[in-house]
Amino acid sequence: MTHPLSRFANPSLRRRAQVLLLGALMACSGVAAAATRVIVLDSAEAQLTLIDPTTHKVVDTQPTGKEPHHLMITPDRSSLIVANSVSNSLLFIDPRTGQLQRRMEGVDDPYQLGFSPDHRWFVTAALRLNRVDVYRYDGHTMALAKRIPIGKTPSHLNFSSDGKTVFVTLQDSGELAAIDLATQTIAWRMPVGNAPAGLWMTPGDKYLLVGMTGEDDVAVVDWHKRQVVKRIPTGRGAHNFRSLDDGRHVAASNRVSNTISIIDYVALTKTRDITGLLPGPDDMELTADKRYLWVTFRFARHVGVIDMSNYTLVDTIRVGRSPHGIYFADRAPVLGPNPD
Amino acid sequence: MINEIINHLEDGIAALQTLLYVDAVQPLLFRLGLMGYDEDTYDALYWVIVGVLQIVVMYALLRPLEALIPAEPWRDRRETRVDVIYTWIAKLGVFNIAFFFLLQPVFDHLQSLMAIHNVPNIELDALWPGVTDQPLASFLIYLVVLDFAGYWYHRWQHRFGVWWELHAVHHSQRQMSLWSDDRNHVLDTVIQAAFFAGLSLFIGVEPGQYVMLTAVGNLLQSVQHVNARLPFGPVLERVLVSPAFHRRHHAIGYGHEGTRYGCNFGVLLPWWDMLFGTASWNATLEPTGIRDQLAPPAGGQRSYGEGWWSQQTYAIARIVERLR
Ligand SMILES: [Zn+2]
Ligand SMILES: [Zn+2]
Repeated sequence: MTHPLSRFANPSLRRRAQVLLLGALMACSGVAAAATRVIVLDSAEAQLTLIDPTTHKVVDTQPTGKEPHHLMITPDRSSLIVANSVSNSLLFIDPRTGQLQRRMEGVDDPYQLGFSPDHRWFVTAALRLNRVDVYRYDGHTMALAKRIPIGKTPSHLNFSSDGKTVFVTLQDSGELAAIDLATQTIAWRMPVGNAPAGLWMTPGDKYLLVGMTGEDDVAVVDWHKRQVVKRIPTGRGAHNFRSLDDGRHVAASNRVSNTISIIDYVALTKTRDITGLLPGPDDMELTADKRYLWVTFRFARHVGVIDMSNYTLVDTIRVGRSPHGIYFADRAPVLGPNPD
Repeated sequence: MINEIINHLEDGIAALQTLLYVDAVQPLLFRLGLMGYDEDTYDALYWVIVGVLQIVVMYALLRPLEALIPAEPWRDRRETRVDVIYTWIAKLGVFNIAFFFLLQPVFDHLQSLMAIHNVPNIELDALWPGVTDQPLASFLIYLVVLDFAGYWYHRWQHRFGVWWELHAVHHSQRQMSLWSDDRNHVLDTVIQAAFFAGLSLFIGVEPGQYVMLTAVGNLLQSVQHVNARLPFGPVLERVLVSPAFHRRHHAIGYGHEGTRYGCNFGVLLPWWDMLFGTASWNATLEPTGIRDQLAPPAGGQRSYGEGWWSQQTYAIARIVERLR
C-alpha cells in the first residue's frame, strides 16, 4: 500500500531508510540493553505510543489521561512525567520502557511543565486556565506554593540558570512574562509578537529565543533589557526548539511552513532549513550520537527521523492522532538552563 | 479484520484531515492571525470529516431504499428538507464547538473536583484485564452501558412536560426519513451532551477513542427513521432497534401520546423495552407525528413550526405556556 501522506515526502526515502536501518541493526546487534523505547504522546487520543528505536516499529500503546501534551524528565532521571492537560493529572513513567510508575492527581491543566535548574521548583503552565502554578520540589514530591493568574494562554516555559526566574510565553496575549520564583510574583511582561510559543536560552543567559507561531521568525529577546533585539526569519509558524549539542546550533520547528531551521545561536542567524517534511513539525529529540533528530508531525499523525549528516528525512512512523511530546532515554544532553 | 478495516479508514481520514488543514484551514488561520487556535482547529477538523463521511455513507445506503421500497408513499419530500439542515448542523460539529466553549470548562471543573474529593470512577474496560480491555470487547461494553442510559434518557423526555416540549420537535416530523434522527431542539441536544459527558466521567469512556461507537450508533439511528420497508425478522429486531420498531414509537396514539403513554423507547437495543415491559412488536403502519397536529376533531391542527427557527422558538413558547 502506498503511504497516504506520500504527497508530502520523497517516496524513495523509504528504500533508503530500509538500507540505513539494516546498517543500524547490524551495528547495534551486539548491544543487549533493556528495551529502551521512543515515547510519543498522542495528544488527541489519550495515549502514548512506544516505538522501538532501532527497528522503528511501534511496539505498544499505553493509556494516559486526556490530552497529554508535554513530558519532562525528573532531575534524578528516575521518572519521565507525562502531563495530562485535560485530566488534570501527571503520570510518572519509566523513562526507558514507558511503563507506569505512579499517578499524581489534582494538578490543574498541566499543559507545559518544567523544573528550575536548581531543582527547587516545579512549574506548570495551565493553558486553558490562564494560570502558571508554582510548586516547591524536594526531590520527590511537589507541594503547591502558588497559583498565579497571568495573561492569555500561557504555553511554554524556560528558566534562568540561577533558578530565580521562570519565563513563560503568553500565546494569545502575544507576550513574554517573567515570574520571580522566590516570591512567586510576576516580575514583568513584554510584548513579543503574534502567538509566541517555544523558549530557548542562549549560553550565559544572554538571550531568549522565542518561536513566533503566528509569524515567520524567531524573536531574539535581550531579557535583561526587555527588548526584542533581532528577528531571525526561520519559516512560518516557528514553534519549538531542540539543542543540537554541537556548541553552536539549535533546531527550530516551523509548524506552518513544515520545515526545521538550524539556528546559529552565537551569530544569531539561520544556517539552513531542513525541508521535505510532513506537516506540523513540533517537538524534537536528538539521539545520543547526534546523528538522528526525531520529530513529531503534529498534523500528520507521524513521527519522523531525520539524518543530521545530510539533513534528510529517512523514515516516518505512523502514530496516534496529534502526536506532540517525544522523548527517549538515550539522547544527547540539552544545553542548560533549557528544560530537559 | 475489523481492526484492519478501521485502520485503513483511519489512514484515509488522517490523510484528508492533513490535506484540508495544511492546504486550506491553516493558511487562513495564519493570515488572520489566529494561530492560537492552530491545534484545536486541527483536532476539531477530524470530527467534521467523520461527520461528513457519516452523511455520505448514510445517504448512499438509505436514499435508494427510500426511493425503491418506501414504507409510506409521499407526494413530495418537502417536509424532510428541514431535517437535512438539522443533520448538517449536527454532523458538522456545530454543537461540539458550542459545547467546547460553553460546557467544557464546567466539566473540566467537575472532573478536577472528582479527583480532589476522591469520587470513585469505574474504569469499565479494566474490569477483566485481557478480556474487557480488548478494543472490540470494551467497545461493546460501552455500547450497552450508554444505550441503557439512553433508554432512560428517552423515557424521561416523554415523562416530564417541559422536556417533552423539547422532544416534541423530534416527534413533530410527520414524514420520517433518513434525515430525521438529528431533528432535535438545541437545548435538548445540549442537555443530552451534558448527560452523556457526565456519565462518561464516571465510567471512564474516552470518547475520542471510540469514534466507531458514535459513527455506528449514528448510522443505526438514521436507519431507524428511514422511510423504507426493511424487515429485520423476528430475531434481528430483538437484537437491534428496527425501523418498524422505532416507527411504532413515532405512531400517534400507538407509540406515544406525548407525556401520557409510550412504547419502544430503545435507542439502539430493544432489550430495555423488553426488560421493562415497554416493547411493542406490532408493525402495522400508522400515521406518525403528534396528535394535536391532526385536523379536528382528532386534534387542534397545531403547528410545531415549518422551518428550523420556528420549530426552535415554538418549543420555548410551549414551555412558557406550560409553566404559566
Ligand atoms: Zn420519543
Ligand atoms: Zn425518533
